[in-house]
Amino acid sequence: MKKLSFSIFGFWILAVLAGRLFQLNPNHIDLNAILSLPNATYLLGADDLGRSILARLLRGVEVSFLVAIIVTAVTMTSGVLIGLIAGFYGGKVDQILMQITDIFLAFPGILLAIAFAAVLGPGLGNLMIALCITGWVSYARLTRGQTLSLRNRQHVQAAESLGASVPRLILRHILPLLASILVVEATYSLASVMIAEASLSFLGLGIQSPNASWGAMLRDGVRYMLVAPHYVLIVGLSLMSLILAINLGGDYLRDKFDVRTEK
Amino acid sequence: MLISACTQQNSSAQLHRDIVFAIAQAPLNLDPRYATDAASERVNRLIYQSLVDFDAQSKPVASLASWLAVSPTEYRFKLNKIRMPFHNQAPLNASDVKATYDSLATLKDSPHTAEFANIKNIEVIDNDIVVFHLKQADRHFPAKLIIGILPADLIAKNQDFSHQPMGSGALKFISWQNKLSLQRLKDCQKISLLEVKDPTVRVLKLLHGEVDLLQGELPPELVKYLQTKPEIIVKTSVGANFSYLGLNMQDPVLQNLKVRQAIAHAIDRNAIIAKVMVSSTRVASAILPPEHYTNHSSTNHSSTNHANLPVYDYNPTLAKQLLIEAGVKQPLKLVYKTSTDAQRVRFATIMQAQMQPAGIDLEIRSLDWGTFFEDVKQGNFQLYGLTWVGIKTPEIYVKAFGSKSVPPNGFNRGRYTDAELDALLANENWPAATTRIHNQLPYIPLWYEGQFAAMHKQIKHYLPKSDGNWDDLATITKP
Repeated sequence: MKKLSFSIFGFWILAVLAGRLFQLNPNHIDLNAILSLPNATYLLGADDLGRSILARLLRGVEVSFLVAIIVTAVTMTSGVLIGLIAGFYGGKVDQILMQITDIFLAFPGILLAIAFAAVLGPGLGNLMIALCITGWVSYARLTRGQTLSLRNRQHVQAAESLGASVPRLILRHILPLLASILVVEATYSLASVMIAEASLSFLGLGIQSPNASWGAMLRDGVRYMLVAPHYVLIVGLSLMSLILAINLGGDYLRDKFDVRTEK
Repeated sequence: MLISACTQQNSSAQLHRDIVFAIAQAPLNLDPRYATDAASERVNRLIYQSLVDFDAQSKPVASLASWLAVSPTEYRFKLNKIRMPFHNQAPLNASDVKATYDSLATLKDSPHTAEFANIKNIEVIDNDIVVFHLKQADRHFPAKLIIGILPADLIAKNQDFSHQPMGSGALKFISWQNKLSLQRLKDCQKISLLEVKDPTVRVLKLLHGEVDLLQGELPPELVKYLQTKPEIIVKTSVGANFSYLGLNMQDPVLQNLKVRQAIAHAIDRNAIIAKVMVSSTRVASAILPPEHYTNHSSTNHSSTNHANLPVYDYNPTLAKQLLIEAGVKQPLKLVYKTSTDAQRVRFATIMQAQMQPAGIDLEIRSLDWGTFFEDVKQGNFQLYGLTWVGIKTPEIYVKAFGSKSVPPNGFNRGRYTDAELDALLANENWPAATTRIHNQLPYIPLWYEGQFAAMHKQIKHYLPKSDGNWDDLATITKP
C-alpha cells in the first residue's frame, strides 16, 4: 500500500513537472478538435472547446496541490493555535472557544464552504478563504483534547514549576508530542481539501474559466457523458487515484507513528 | 360542445397515449397579464386566445378579432363571428376583452401594465365590437394586443389565473403538480409538460421513451448524437432570437467607435456557429431578422434585407489596427459579464481566445442570473452577452437604443445616446435606423440561434418555430 501510494503521488508530481517542461498550454482552443478521442496530437483527447485534456489535467492538479497546501497550512496553524489556547488555559477561555468551534461543527463543512464561496463570489482566492474559514475546526478539537491531557503530564508540570514561560511550555513540551497526530490529520486534510476544491469548482464557485480545475472539468465532462465519456472518466479516475494515494499515505503515517502498531 | 366531447371514458382511452414534452424550465406564471418568461408565454399562447397575432414576417394580423384604425387614437376591434368559448363553456364577448385590458391598467405588479398606459378607455359597442381610445396616437397599438383574453366574471372574482388558468385557446388546463397537464379540445389528446433541467437527463428520458419530444436547450453535440439514433427524428428551423454583445457606451474606452469596430472584427462568428452551434444558426446583423417585414418595407423608406449592412468579418489584424488608430493601450483589457449557463460560458471562452490575437484581453465573469441581470440593468458592465427572445415589433429599436429608454424607462442598458438615431426612430424609418445601429455598434451582433426539436419517429405534425414557440402542440399527434 505504501508503495502504491508513493507511486501514484510520485507519478502526479512527475507529470506536473513534465507538463511545465514541455510547456503544455491548457488554454489553447482548437475548435476542430472538440471532444476528440485520445490521439497523437491530444494524448488524452480534447474537451468541449478543443483544449488538451492532458494539459488541463496537469494544470488542474497544480491548482489542487496549491489550494490543498495553502488551505491545510492556514487551517492547521489557526486550528492548532485555538486548540492549544483552549486546552492549556481551560475554564472560560476553553468554554468560549469550544462553543465557537461547536457552532462551526453544527454545519456540514462543505455546505458552509459553499455558503461562504457564494457570498464571497467565485475565484481561487475566495475559494481558499471559504475553505480556510471552515477547515480549522477539526484541528482545534483534536489539539484541545490532546492538550488537556498533556497539560497534566508530569514533565509539563515540572517545567512549569521550574518557571518555564507559557510559550516555552507549549512550544517545547506540548506541541512536539502533538506533531505526529497533526501530521496524520494534515495528510487526510489534504485529500478532503482537494475534494472540497473540486466540489466547489464543480458547482461553479471555484476556479473560473478559462483556468483549469478538476471540478470544473468534471462538470463539463458530465454534460458530454453521452458523446464523449472518455472526458469525464479520465478526470474522475485521476481525482480518485490522487485522493486514494493521499489517504493511503495518511494510513501509512498513522501506522508509522502509532506506537502500538510499531510493536 | 368540444369540451363535453372529452368524456371520462375518452380520456382514459387516451391515457396511454399522452404526449409528454420535456422542457428545460417550467412556466412560472400562467396568468398572461403577469407572465414574462419564455415558457409561460409559450404555454399561454395555447391556453388563451389574443386579439392579435403575428404572421411569418412578424406583421400583426387578426387572430381573435380584426381591426380598423378609425383614427390614430381610436381602434375598433370586431371579434370573429365564430369563436371558441372559454373552457368553462362561457361565451367570449367584447366585455371580456374590456375586462382583461381594464384589469391590466389596475394591476400594480404586472410588468405589462406600463405597455398599456396609453389606453384612455375601452368602449364595448356590443357583444362583438370593442373600441380602444388612446391618449396619444400610436400606429403600432394593435401589435401590443397579444395578451390572452380572460373571462370577465372570473376577473371580478379575483381568480388565481397563474395556477388555475381559464382561457379559450386550443389547449385546456387540467392540472399542475409535478408536470403541467393540458388537454387539446378538438380530440381530447392529453399533453404533459415535464420540467427536466439537465440536458443529459432530458436526452436519456427521450431515448428511454419516458418523454416523446423535447425542443431546444441542448448542446449541439447532443443534438448530433440524437440525429444518429434511428428511433429519433430531429427537425430544425432557422431562428429569430437575436444574440448580441451589449456595450457600455458610458465607458470611456468603448465610447470610441473604432474600439467597438475592433471588437466586432475580433469575433469569428462563422467559426463559432460551425463548431459549437446547431446547424440552422445564422449570423445576425440586426435585432429583427432579414425576413421581418420592416426589412422589406416598400413604403416611404428604402428597404434593407441586411444585404446592404457592412459585414464585420473576423480580421484580428484589422482589429489591432483599429485599436492603434483609437489610441488605446494594448492589450486592451475588457470585462465580459455573462450568466453561469454552460453554453454561454463556452461562447465567452471562445471569444476570449479569438480576441487575443486582436490585442484584446477579455476577462470573463460568469455570474448567477439574478446578479448578472441586475448588473446589466444598472449599467454595471463593460460588455455583456444576452439574447432577445420573441421580438416582433420594430419598436424594440426605440426601447433598446432610444436616448430616453434608459432603464427603468426602457431597455437601453448601454446608455446609448444618438440624436441622429433618435430622429430616424421618431420618423419610424426602420431600414435607416437599422443601418445606423449596425454602423454605430451599440450592440455587437452575433447570431440568430437555430431552433430544433427532437422526437420519437411516431410523433407527427410538430415543427420547431423560429421564435421557439410551442404552437404545434395544438396539432401534434402520436398514433
